[in-house]
Amino acid sequence: MPESVPSSLIIDAFKEIFQAERRGAKRQDPLGWIISVPDTHQKSVLAALDKERSLRVLTCSTEDDANAVAAGLYMTGEPVIVMIQHAGLYASVNTIRGISMDGKIPIFYMIGLLSREKDKDPKDSRHSMVRFAEPLLDVFSIPHARLEGPDDVKLIPEYYRKSRERKGPAAVLVGLETA
Amino acid sequence: MMKPEEILKLIAAARGTAICVPTMTTGPAWRKLAPDDLSVGCVGFMGGASAMGLGLALGAPDRRVIIFDGDGSLLMQLGSLATIAGAAPRNLTHLLFKNGVYHTSGSQETPGGPGTDFAAMAKAAGYRSAYTISTFDDFKKRLPSFFSEDGPILVQLITGLAESTPMTAGPSTPFHQQVAELRAKVGGAR
Repeated sequence: MPESVPSSLIIDAFKEIFQAERRGAKRQDPLGWIISVPDTHQKSVLAALDKERSLRVLTCSTEDDANAVAAGLYMTGEPVIVMIQHAGLYASVNTIRGISMDGKIPIFYMIGLLSREKDKDPKDSRHSMVRFAEPLLDVFSIPHARLEGPDDVKLIPEYYRKSRERKGPAAVLVGLETA
Repeated sequence: MMKPEEILKLIAAARGTAICVPTMTTGPAWRKLAPDDLSVGCVGFMGGASAMGLGLALGAPDRRVIIFDGDGSLLMQLGSLATIAGAAPRNLTHLLFKNGVYHTSGSQETPGGPGTDFAAMAKAAGYRSAYTISTFDDFKKRLPSFFSEDGPILVQLITGLAESTPMTAGPSTPFHQQVAELRAKVGGAR
């Protein structure tokens, strides 16, 4: 059975990624950028991020904005993670295609699977927004993995690296609401 | 009516080391005026110039970032006005070339047409300041302050149509190449 992942583990993973990115860089403040369109599924992470002084969270009006802001930050050498919900993935597919895929901009996404049933694989969900998220990523050949418990936190740096290596999007889906 | 090309010529002479983000009909003329410079065009992800300019401004706080937006383009991501206002980058100048139509698709009138006031919207969203300019002389006189005063500022420029569009101009540098070149110039040194 999947389990919720504590927010502290996720934020520690973010910090480790950003520390590695900042090594040797002149600019150290903020350590990194979280570009967010608030996701109910990851609300404990967002609440904990509010107390983090080393990370800067920028809340955007839409996921289209979030993608474009992340692209601008990338071009200036800044490390970025985008946090959205599956509905935001659907809303912003053209921007992800145009910016991250065609622009070859490495953007790493944390995508919440709101309403995912604990006892079901997402492909068997009765909610279309849960059911279609992973197939949609497959259509665009976007590498993805799913957080199904605390042990899966290692997927966050792994898929962040994948986005860098392939110069394009990569995503980790958050299976259950974070704790 | 102001000609976009004449406005861009003045900008090219005054922008110094600013990063510029042209979109749609400002793209072809800007490429001729400022080839191989600190610019990245926004084509193919509708309305993204404003938010991409915001990301550049936040990541490069020691440089001015100038967005050359269009009215049809901004309407596609109108919420970016609030996103920009919330982030409040002091180094961001958002120029809105308002021709009142979707030029590339045959000049259909934009929703709201000439009555839509983007300067009022920007001010209401929380921009530090917003102006409307409708004569070339006024633009020329005030241009230095647009690039020096604290942002975010939006300048609504009432213009005619550009001479060419991305559809009629020749092929441009691919977006991914522009991204790589700008990152090498701006991001590489950080």
